[in-house]
Amino acid sequence: MPHDLAPMDLSDATSAELADRAAALNAAYRNHSAFAVMSRAMDDPSVGTVALVSSFGAESVVLLHMLSVMDRRRPVLFLETGMLFRETLDYQRDLAERFGLTDLRLIRPDDAALAAVDPDGTLNTRDTDACCAVRKVRPLEQALAPFDAWITGRKRFQSGTRAALEFFEPDGARLKINPLACWTPEDVRDYMDNNRLPRHPLVAKGFPSIGCAPCTTAVAPGEDPRAGRWRGKTKEECGIHFVNGRMVRGPAPKADETMGETIVAKDIVAEDRGVEAPAPELAADAPAAPVIARDDGFSAEDWHAPFDALADLTEAGAAAVDVPSDADPAALAGRLDAARIIRVDFPSFSDGRGFTIARRLREMGYTGRLRARGVIADQYAMARRSGFDEVEVAPQLAARQPEDQWLARAQWRANDYQARLRG
Amino acid sequence: MYQYDDFDRAFLDERNRQFRAQVERRVDGALTEDEFKPLRLMNGVYLQLHAYMLRVAIPYGTLRSDQMRALADLAERWDRGYGHFTTRQNIQYNWPRLADIPDMLDHLATVGLHAIQTSGNTIRNVTADHFSGAAADEIADPRPVAELLRQWSTDHPEFQFLPRKFKIAITGSPNDRAVTRSHDIGLRMIERGGEAGFEVLVGGGLGRTPLIGQVLRDFLPRADLLPYVESILAAYNAAGRRDNKYKARLKITVLEGGLDEFRDAVEAEFPARRAAFTGVDQALLADITDFFAPPAFRDADEGLLDAARAVDPVFRAWTDTNLHPHRRADHAIVTLSLKAHGATPGDATAEQMRAMADLADAYGYGELRISHEQNVILPHVPKDALPALHRELKAQGLATANVGLASDIIACPGMDYCALATARSIPVAQAIALALEEREAEVGQLKIKISGCINACGHHHVGHIGILGLDRAGVENYQITLGGDGTERAAIGERTGPGFPADRIVPAIERLVDAYLDLREDADEPFIDTYRRVGMDPFKAALYDQAGDTAHAA
Repeated sequence: MPHDLAPMDLSDATSAELADRAAALNAAYRNHSAFAVMSRAMDDPSVGTVALVSSFGAESVVLLHMLSVMDRRRPVLFLETGMLFRETLDYQRDLAERFGLTDLRLIRPDDAALAAVDPDGTLNTRDTDACCAVRKVRPLEQALAPFDAWITGRKRFQSGTRAALEFFEPDGARLKINPLACWTPEDVRDYMDNNRLPRHPLVAKGFPSIGCAPCTTAVAPGEDPRAGRWRGKTKEECGIHFVNGRMVRGPAPKADETMGETIVAKDIVAEDRGVEAPAPELAADAPAAPVIARDDGFSAEDWHAPFDALADLTEAGAAAVDVPSDADPAALAGRLDAARIIRVDFPSFSDGRGFTIARRLREMGYTGRLRARGVIADQYAMARRSGFDEVEVAPQLAARQPEDQWLARAQWRANDYQARLRG
Repeated sequence: MYQYDDFDRAFLDERNRQFRAQVERRVDGALTEDEFKPLRLMNGVYLQLHAYMLRVAIPYGTLRSDQMRALADLAERWDRGYGHFTTRQNIQYNWPRLADIPDMLDHLATVGLHAIQTSGNTIRNVTADHFSGAAADEIADPRPVAELLRQWSTDHPEFQFLPRKFKIAITGSPNDRAVTRSHDIGLRMIERGGEAGFEVLVGGGLGRTPLIGQVLRDFLPRADLLPYVESILAAYNAAGRRDNKYKARLKITVLEGGLDEFRDAVEAEFPARRAAFTGVDQALLADITDFFAPPAFRDADEGLLDAARAVDPVFRAWTDTNLHPHRRADHAIVTLSLKAHGATPGDATAEQMRAMADLADAYGYGELRISHEQNVILPHVPKDALPALHRELKAQGLATANVGLASDIIACPGMDYCALATARSIPVAQAIALALEEREAEVGQLKIKISGCINACGHHHVGHIGILGLDRAGVENYQITLGGDGTERAAIGERTGPGFPADRIVPAIERLVDAYLDLREDADEPFIDTYRRVGMDPFKAALYDQAGDTAHAA
């Protein structure tokens, strides 16, 4: 049991020892989920004292919520750079109060340092790296001095430099813990949905990744979520995160090229300062439209007319109706004859209300097309047995769970206890 | 007892094949742990503190001897030589390798056992009175209905992603040994005007918010069972909270909206659900019932038992505590205690499991039961076989004469195994059992239940003495509740006051026992009745009165 062991002396860890420790921890926690990694790591004597570093950005609420569930007295470091959005500061206060965080530490830039390099607050327009250094990197280094390890919200999907991210990595003199390393955007969304967590107010305005106000812009639909950070610059990281123990300041290197190499910091910002680049094109191989999964596999969408929301329906009803997961299908009574297709939304695959909605619609006598949106391949048989005809599969999900994974469950009529009991 | 037919076998084989493929995708890295989690939970695989854990269902607590041997095989071949019987008629293996679990499931399938829906937000293993089919006080054997519910709930397409887990228990006896009032649905088999049916209770539960189940329907005709239970589940699936896992159980839905509102939703759902059942389910129930016909009981000589009792005081003590009245006067229900003093409650070694299977074959028509009190039962033993059975049990360390006594403690796995636990529970149970061993026969019936966190897996809320282990600023602290009862007189225990640190919890329990011995009217008044008569105050004084503390410490 971890709590029975005396803590190791971690104060003068060498880089080789740190790398060994990270490797051992990665092996020990290989099979663990995000929550388990974080909660165990906070009490693991081979990790030492731990702080959560949070930007209170678009996805920060996940780790803050986990921490509040585990132990709300743990230290949370918040980098107040002096350049943040008003919305971020409001959100930070709201979350800290909601979660009852009792050791929230606001980390501010050193006044003397600011006076020396950025007296008028315009350094970001001349040298973003220098600005990050004085407002984020150095203050954080000082704030982290008493800790052996820190928790970040970085995830593999976020950028090329993060594609090989592990739960534990050596980071200068201490360990960095990335509990969400393996999470996909869907995992983050599910966690927020399932726990009804408040979103950062700027997310609704098109900011999926949020840093300092001068260096963050909105992104277009389909664009990389971090495209709005340092837009027009080749910069991907602010400098508080490293690759293989080195600060990354250049273009995103391929993960396998960075192994054991030094990434040289390069000031490329001056070349195009102040110029906003156009939003990049969608990646060429990204599927553009959802596909429809049926017993014979994937088909292209064949319903091209718009769906009417259940809440907006007139007395006469509509040919295509969208039913949200919290709807009572009884609201459609008397209007089912007009419907040719009904689409039931699953806000997350773990929210099974839509299965009961489908069963109720069939019990009410609806015989038209019934479509599920938001379930995964492993639920295809459940959807069919509950009364759905088909599943609308989002492009990203179709890429991750290709047609064969859906076809594997096409024999849904076999081995069905409900059929046996109902005759 | 129920035997799988071709349908059951084909279902289980296909299910195990699917899970094997999912495990392979996990092991080779194609699935991350977060993606794999809902899939493994549907098949009873948890990630515990040190390793994966496999929880195998023992439907309605009934086992054949060959099934018990298969459980022993699992412990020996793929685990560390033992298994842990839980408080919900399951057995857990705490050290399997993930890559081995598909083989374990295939081995279980050869004897008609599985781990389906032993975890996750779905309908869990349906539990039943562990004396079903044997007890003298039984109105009807609940196991055929429990098997029908098992089949209905297995892979039910609507209810695999409920707001939270869902537990059903059923009893066919007026003396409730299945804790039906602490379940999401409790079913009590009753008769009205000659017609067989059920009293349906909903919204019971322990955990953070302990609540006693309420009567949703005072009489439900037998043939309406599946559509009615399905209506309850549908109403819950639609209305249960999904914003906070600690408020997602049915008990909170019923508490917040009121019983009447929930009943209206169920009744509105019912007509269409009822119409979908054509009677095939009742024909299947009749077939299932045939499987549970009692064994061909032989006549036994009761005189032998009395003679053995007269000459052997150890045997007499064991028969006083570990036997219950059987439906036939010349048979007895025998409880084998898995609570040897100082051992881990509910643990059984592979060797013990095989020995119990052999004894069931030799003395008990090949049948065994698992109780929610974590003991094993031989439901049908001819009374003239008891002395020989007792001799063999002694040799296996299974003859502890403490059923229902102070050391027959229910305890969750606690911080030694469980990722959620905030305190140890097994070492506390062991220490209490040792401290009370010498005088527990004098103390009589006393149910002590210990949970290692507020999720209450050790059922401490319904213990006569309940103990809840918490973490107070990194230090284990144990709160005490008194007066809980899981039977037909169901009650939630009341907190005594501040908790005790780990090194002072055992003396505190001893002070409670001393107080009871002083307060009781006579040896026939059990602890719970004394508590109900005198109330909390004298026990509180015994616990917290400093003078008393010193006197006892001296």
